Amino acid sequence: MPAQLLQAEAAIDPHPRTEPATTGADVVVRVFAEQGARVLFGYSGGAILPVFDAVFRYNARHPQADGSELMPLVVPANEQGAGFMAGGYARASGRVGIAVVTSGPGATNIVTPVRDALADSVPLVVICGQVPSSAIGSDAFQEAPVSTIMGAVAKHVFLVTDPRRLESTLRTAFEIARSGRPGPVVVDIPKDVQNAAVAFRGHGQLPIPGYRARLAAIQSARIGDDACATLFAALQRARRPLIYAGGGVIAAGADAALRRFVDATGIPVTTTLMGIGGFDTTDPLALHLLGMHGTAYANYAVEDCDLLLALGARFDDRVVGSPAAFAPCAEFIAQIDIDAAEIGKVKPVQWQHNGDLRVSLESLCRYADAHGLDLHGEGRYADWHAYIAGLKQAHAMDYDRTSAPIQPQAVIEAINRISAGRAIVSTGVGQHQMWAAQYMDFRGPRQWLTSGSMGTMGFGLPGAIGAQFARPDALVIDIDGDGSIRMNLGELETVTTYELPVKIVLLNNRGDGMVRQWQKLFFDGRMASSDKSLHTKDFIKAVQADGFRWARRLERKEELDAVMAEFLAFGGPAFLEVMIDPDACVYPMVGPGASYAQMITGDFIACRGRGNATPAAGIHGDMF
Amino acid sequence: MQHILTILLQNESGALVRVAGMFASRSYNIESLTVAATADPAISKLVLCVHGDDQAVAQIANQTCKLIDVLEVHHEKAAA
Repeated sequence: MPAQLLQAEAAIDPHPRTEPATTGADVVVRVFAEQGARVLFGYSGGAILPVFDAVFRYNARHPQADGSELMPLVVPANEQGAGFMAGGYARASGRVGIAVVTSGPGATNIVTPVRDALADSVPLVVICGQVPSSAIGSDAFQEAPVSTIMGAVAKHVFLVTDPRRLESTLRTAFEIARSGRPGPVVVDIPKDVQNAAVAFRGHGQLPIPGYRARLAAIQSARIGDDACATLFAALQRARRPLIYAGGGVIAAGADAALRRFVDATGIPVTTTLMGIGGFDTTDPLALHLLGMHGTAYANYAVEDCDLLLALGARFDDRVVGSPAAFAPCAEFIAQIDIDAAEIGKVKPVQWQHNGDLRVSLESLCRYADAHGLDLHGEGRYADWHAYIAGLKQAHAMDYDRTSAPIQPQAVIEAINRISAGRAIVSTGVGQHQMWAAQYMDFRGPRQWLTSGSMGTMGFGLPGAIGAQFARPDALVIDIDGDGSIRMNLGELETVTTYELPVKIVLLNNRGDGMVRQWQKLFFDGRMASSDKSLHTKDFIKAVQADGFRWARRLERKEELDAVMAEFLAFGGPAFLEVMIDPDACVYPMVGPGASYAQMITGDFIACRGRGNATPAAGIHGDMF
Repeated sequence: MQHILTILLQNESGALVRVAGMFASRSYNIESLTVAATADPAISKLVLCVHGDDQAVAQIANQTCKLIDVLEVHHEKAAA
C-alpha cells in the first residue's frame, strides 16, 4: 500500500463500535467467550491455524490490566494432554472444558480423552481443525475421518460444512455437552469454514427437537406423591437401608441435597469411585468406597443391607462383580438416574425415577417434611448405625505398619494428615489410584479427579494441570504411579512453563503394580512385561530438566512426615518420588466377576466368613 | 425373539452411521435395516430388525433414544 494511503487511513478516526470483519475462526472465539470460556487447552497445526490466530487477536484486542490474557490458550506436549487438561478443568469446576486441536493426528491423539470424558460423564467441547471441504475424502495431508471416529466415542459430533451454520452449531455443542447426562461434543471444522467471511449474530441454535424434548421431559420429571409414599413405606419397613451414591451426585450438583436427605433419614452412604466427595468421607455415616477395592466395611454393609438406594450410580462391573450375588439381602432396590438406559440395566429394581438427582432428592426431603417423617430423629435405624460403627471398627482399613520398606498407604495417610480432606487430587490408574481412593478424605465434591470408567493411565498429570487452572488457589496434588506418569511425562514441562504450583507425588514401585497383583493372583506369578526394576529412568533428573526447583526422592520412612510437610508447603511446582514396597497389594479385593462374600482382605484387614482362603475361587477365567 | 425398532432420525451428516455404529459397538446384530425418506426432507425413517430377549432390546432402544439426531424410537415385537 502506498505510504500516502496508509497515512490517510491512519488519519481516519474509526467509530468506537466498529468491529473488524469476522471469519469463521472469529466466530469460534466469540462463541467461546459467550459461553464463559476462561481458558482453552490446545495444540496448533495447519488445519486449525485460523482459530489459533483468532484467539491471539482476541486476546490482543482485550488487554488486561495485570498483563494476563482474557482467554489464555494452554499448550500441552501432546493433544492427549490437552484433552485431559480440559477434562481435569471440567471435573474440578463443573464448567465445560474446551480443547482445540488440529486435523489428523491432532484429532486422533485426543480420541482417548474424549472417550474418557464420555465414560465418566464429563462435559467437554473439542474443536478439531479439518482439511478444507474440497479435500475431505482425498487422503489429504493430516486428514482423518474425525466424525466417524469420534461418533463412536463422543456424546455427539458435528462436521460443519456450511459456514452459516458454524455459530449455531458451536452454541449447540456447548448446550449438548453440559445438559442432561454431561459428555464430550466434538466439532470438526474444515479450514475453509474457519476462513469464510461470516458475521457473528450472537444468537441461534441448531434444531435438535428429539434431544430437547427428552431433556425437557427429564427436567420437568418429578417424583409424585404416590411414588414418594412407596419409597418411604419401603424405608419404614427396612431395618438396614443403604445409599449407594455414584458420580451422578457430583454431576447433578446434588451433594447438598444428599446431605439433607441423609440428615432426614439417617441412611448410611457408600460411594463409587466416581462418587467420592459427593458425601463427606469423614461423616460417621460415610462408608467410603464400595466394590472391587472398596473398604471391607462398605462391602459388608452392601452384603447385609435389606434396602439399597442407588443414586446416580450404574451398577458398573467394578462395583457389582457378580450382578446376581450383589446386595443379596436387599429385598428392595431403588434407583434414581438421569439416564433412562441406566435404570435396571444390570440389576432389576423395585422402584425407579428417571430425573435430575438434585431435584429428586429435594422432592423426597419435602415429602418427608410434609408428612412428618423423621426417620433419623426417631432413631429408626439406631441398631443399624451401631452395627455399621462396629463394622468400621472391626474391619478398618489397615496395612503393614512395621515393615522396613515404605508402604504406599503410609504415604497417602501422610498427605491426608496435612490436606485434611480439602485438597484436589488427581491420579493415574492402578494401585496408587486405589490406595488414594481408600486412604484420602474428601470433604466435598469435585476434589477427587480420576479416570474411573475408562481407567486411562496418564490422566493424573494433565488432569492436575487442568484442575489448577480451574482452581488457581487450591492445593492440587497429582498422586501418580511410575507406569501411569510415563504415559504423559511430557506434561511435566507444561507445569513449569505455566508456573503452576501442582504437587506431584510419585509412588514408584518399579513397574505396573496392579498388573503384577493380577499376575500374582491369576497367572501363577509370571510377571509378563510388568517389572521395570531394570528401567533406567531417573525421575528426579527428568523433572529438574523440566524446571522443577523442588524435587526429591524419598527412601527412608522416618523422613516421610517432615518431607511431606515441606513438599506440600512449597510455593511452586514440586515433585516428590517415594520408593515404595514393590510387593504391596491393594486390599480388600473382590475378584472380577466374584461376589462380595469372596472378598479377600489381605493380612491386615479382618475378614469374615469364607473370603480370604481361596482368592481366585469362583472367578471365571474370562473376567477382566 | 425378533423385535422391530422404528426410528425417526434427523437427516444430518453421519446420523445413520451413528445409529448403526452404536448397535455394533454394543454387540447387537442388525438383521435388516431399511432407510427411507419421509414427507419432511429433514427427517428419515429407519426400520431395524434385531434378535434378542426383551430386556436386551429394551436396553438398545433406550440407548438409541440417547442419540442426539434421534427424534423418536418405537419398539415392537415381531409377530412369531
